[in-house]
Amino acid sequence: MRILSVDTSGRFDAVGLIDGHLVLEDFVAEAEGNSLEDIILNVDRVLTSSGLTIADVDGLAVGIGPGFWTGARVGITVGKILAYVTNKPLCGISSLDALAYQARDVRILLCPLVEAGRGNVYGGLYRSEGETVAKEGEYSAGPIKGLLEKIREPVLFLGEAMELHRQTISEELGPLASFRDSGGGRRGSAMALLALSRFERGESDDALSLVPLYLKEPLAQALLAQERKRQAQ
Amino acid sequence: MILGIETSCDETAAALVADGTILSNVVASQMDLHARFGGIVPEIAARKHVEAIGYVIKEAIDSAGKELADVEAVAVTSKYGLVGSLLVGVAAAKSLAYTAKIPLVGIHHIEGHIFANILSNPELPMPHVCLTVSGGHSMLVYVKGLCQYEVMGNTLDDAGGEAFDKVAKFLGLGFPGGPVIDRLSAQGDRAAFNFPRPLRRSNTVDFSFSGLKTAVVNTFKGRDRATLPLADIAASFQEAVVDHLVSKTLQAASRKDVSAIGVTGGVAMNRRLREVFAEMGPREGYQVFFTRPDLCGDNAAMVAAAGIARLTYGEAAGLDLGVVAHAPLESVR
Repeated sequence: MRILSVDTSGRFDAVGLIDGHLVLEDFVAEAEGNSLEDIILNVDRVLTSSGLTIADVDGLAVGIGPGFWTGARVGITVGKILAYVTNKPLCGISSLDALAYQARDVRILLCPLVEAGRGNVYGGLYRSEGETVAKEGEYSAGPIKGLLEKIREPVLFLGEAMELHRQTISEELGPLASFRDSGGGRRGSAMALLALSRFERGESDDALSLVPLYLKEPLAQALLAQERKRQAQ
Repeated sequence: MILGIETSCDETAAALVADGTILSNVVASQMDLHARFGGIVPEIAARKHVEAIGYVIKEAIDSAGKELADVEAVAVTSKYGLVGSLLVGVAAAKSLAYTAKIPLVGIHHIEGHIFANILSNPELPMPHVCLTVSGGHSMLVYVKGLCQYEVMGNTLDDAGGEAFDKVAKFLGLGFPGGPVIDRLSAQGDRAAFNFPRPLRRSNTVDFSFSGLKTAVVNTFKGRDRATLPLADIAASFQEAVVDHLVSKTLQAASRKDVSAIGVTGGVAMNRRLREVFAEMGPREGYQVFFTRPDLCGDNAAMVAAAGIARLTYGEAAGLDLGVVAHAPLESVR
């Protein structure tokens, strides 16, 4: 099964292409602007360098964040329209799942982090399990300290937001914490491989209704709710 | 047959147009969602576009009884609007153009409104002067020919529709303000209050609405809303806006050798605006052409129509098409 993946939810734009478990392409480039201008050119570059066209792809994977929502919306829209036009199945893949999956060979607790703005992070806790990783508990969104309070064992931090919070992490966890920065890494193929395992289990997402993995409501909505609560009191 | 896509503000829209005929015109409005905030919230608009875009495109094709394979080109609003909203439409359009191997063309939102007028009135002569006014813009354009423009006037502050929104908000009438003020004005006295006519002595054909809005607010600030003559205020305010729009448009038309005026955009739905134009236009020697009501608000049929014209001139976009929030209205190259 050939799977094309597209992710524009992070600091790096990624396009991956796999054929079964064989990684054909793992394109990564620093994101320019809102990723809109380059996204189709990158997809075409990856397909062309493997001598393929979009018609040769059997399934699609797309990054749904958490991360930069503007970029995520570009990628998801591209994913859903490619799936609609080609009538191929689509899987939305979490950026945190993909980051953890890239460290599936590591046997300690994994903690991928993604920037959430205003000093906050999106994060999750994972453990390797056979050839893949399993998430423990829910995704978290908020100050890094909230996430660190749950950790009492050796842990490997991953992802773009790790550097921003390295000092806090070291202060809170001391020798328990280790770090691996993979940059854009192999995010494209990681997403495609995660999608492959979902397709093999007979799962996929509905392309037309797929949306980003928002872990927070829009700020305006939150402020309105606060205001209503204040008025009610 | 061309597919149009429009997501520049808070409406997710797609339409199929062939040979000047609208085969489908689908608009998913988010108005109810934004109403409780008293205006458009960009983050919410962008979220809703992603949710709706696939369904809206599919509905535009299905409801016309067509197949994706029948679509020969795709036109999308890529300029003028909220960036987070615009880029959802453009991402969808370029994905479609790439996979279906069909031409892509980017359209300026205001050019779309000009084409809504052309689409509504096949007999509309060229050249003409077009007034286009909505919640996001107010502009006077000399339309020399298809896709040939000279911008004559622009708003110096708020858009015309925005003035309706702000006054409606001040009067506690809800959002959007245009339709509610139009309705309420029918029961009011438009001469009850003499609000200022902006830029009356100015030689330019620009617009200004913020002073007028402030005049309304200052006149009634601090008064108990229950005691306000809301219908009279609405009617008098609306009269000032209409007077401003009509007089500047006639002034613009008099500077060009034209016999026709086009009136388009969301505010073109206003009944008093249509009434005054229908009376004043012919008196001054102009035939006035209104956009049909279902094409006044943001829609994608107008984008498709503009796309057909641009493609006829051989203008197509590359797959690197981006979005621009504030772009000038440009003639075809």
